[in-house]
Amino acid sequence: MPLKINNVRKVFPNKKEVDHVVIKGFSAEIEEGEFVSLIGPSGCGKTTMLSMVGGFQQTTDGLIALDDVEIDGPSVERGYVFQNYALFPWMNVGRNITYSLRMQGMPKEQRDVRLKELLEMAYLTGHEKKFPIQLSGGMQQRVAVLRALASHPRILLLDEPLGAVDFQMREILQNELASLVQKAGTTVMMVTHDVSEAVFLSDRVLVMQSNGGELLADVKIDLPRPRDRSSDQFKTYNNDLTDLLRKAFNYSKE
Amino acid sequence: MERILRKFPKPSKGTLMFFGGLAVAFVVWHFASLHIDQAIRLPNFVTTMQAFFTNWTNSWVMENLGITLWRVLRGVGYASLIGLPLGMFMGYSKTIRQAISPLMNSIRQIPIMAWVPMAILWFGLGEGPTLFIIFMSAVFPLMINTLSGVMNIDPNYISAAKSMGASTLKIFVTIILPGAFPSFLTGLRMAVGLGWMSVICAEFIATSSGFGFLLIQAQIQFRTADLWSLMIMAAVTGYFIDRILLLVERSLTSWRFKDAAEN
Ligand SMILES: Nc1ncnc2c1ncn2[C@@H]1O[C@H](COP(=O)(O)OP(=O)(O)O)[C@@H](O)[C@H]1O
Ligand SMILES: [Mg+2]
Repeated sequence: MPLKINNVRKVFPNKKEVDHVVIKGFSAEIEEGEFVSLIGPSGCGKTTMLSMVGGFQQTTDGLIALDDVEIDGPSVERGYVFQNYALFPWMNVGRNITYSLRMQGMPKEQRDVRLKELLEMAYLTGHEKKFPIQLSGGMQQRVAVLRALASHPRILLLDEPLGAVDFQMREILQNELASLVQKAGTTVMMVTHDVSEAVFLSDRVLVMQSNGGELLADVKIDLPRPRDRSSDQFKTYNNDLTDLLRKAFNYSKE
Repeated sequence: MERILRKFPKPSKGTLMFFGGLAVAFVVWHFASLHIDQAIRLPNFVTTMQAFFTNWTNSWVMENLGITLWRVLRGVGYASLIGLPLGMFMGYSKTIRQAISPLMNSIRQIPIMAWVPMAILWFGLGEGPTLFIIFMSAVFPLMINTLSGVMNIDPNYISAAKSMGASTLKIFVTIILPGAFPSFLTGLRMAVGLGWMSVICAEFIATSSGFGFLLIQAQIQFRTADLWSLMIMAAVTGYFIDRILLLVERSLTSWRFKDAAEN
């Protein structure tokens, strides 16, 4: 079992007022090869949860373990794609993608082989000399995913990977992301606030509630891939999860 | 014929207006100087222009211009040696920032020319005080721009680098330095500009060589046309230094621009 999140609490201390309890208690498990989405209202603690899995923030209480080893900092085992991609603007596409390989001290010939393989996977061959600013939003997103995948991570962590993309492009990029992840065969934990995106991409959807970030529902998406957004079953999942999300939001008002 | 003409782009409205404005100013100057007819106060336009153009081939003038530019280069060089690391440390650590900022901001309020008497006491007349004045006017823009360059680096870049296995040293070399570099270059351009402006004043007082010294000589000997031509020369030189630095800045950080050459 790759990822185990056990009763995690996260409190941001506040000197002047009461401490801010963002996550009261969150538990979940993600199986090998699974694509799991975390959805919830804005501000419920999704990014905080994911960044604790990434090792960028510490848990206040509870335990997060990957392959039964406790997480205590960032690592190449966990590839992370940031909400704004965080591509290094001064490095071209090739150097961005091979960054982790260079940090690992991989020799150039091996790096070039891996780069070629990755570029082909995302239909980016020929773009390796471009700088991030010269790429479309969709291409930037693919580069960010490739960069996180370069060192064969055990799990890929995606924070709203399509959050910055406009509505018309979203579905196309969701298709691309689905095929990219499928080819890589990695376990994925993705944060999103878009229900249909979660249904389209995930094996399982976790719904976080607004106040305290506790788990409200754990929904298995039992649909064949590639998924058909216009099918009745897809719409049913979509509607059910939308209702749950509304419920998750209402918790905060009580 | 038409084809040949088309090769020359039509000058923009801005360019036309610039040259128009300049022409009007020159005409006004020309007739004013004829009317006033006191060459010591307002030199003849044509004489001044002649002096201006011969200056560029005058070895004495060019030698002193060279001396001044060499001083600016060295002064800004020293300022970079101090301002760059100081700005880096201050951007990196809040503690260092809190310790140094108030002091720096107080020193910065002292008008640059107020340093001249002190500089002469410290260094005597000659190169010392001039270099010191350039240093003092250049070090703050360098430091502050480097500092803000470091502070404005997206924290996610550092998190990303960590999650890809970068050590602290590697993060510094591959993220902090290149991330702060554009801002440092902006600071450098400001530093050279300010250095160029203040060195001339320092040269009035503290030395007997350099472009400022030429200006004082022209004044003492009542060569007003020369004085004016030297002033125009100072403006033109300052303008071109700034343009060149802007080009250098753009080409060294071409990744910031959409039309960058692939690299
Ligand atoms: N470093 C921090 N210090 C204090 N509060 C924070 C910090 N990071 C996030 N928060 C708070 O935690 C809550 C959840 O934030 P976040 O995880 O970004 O939500 P989401 O990604 O679900 O929109 C928000 O109320 C936010 O203000
Ligand atoms: Mg978020």
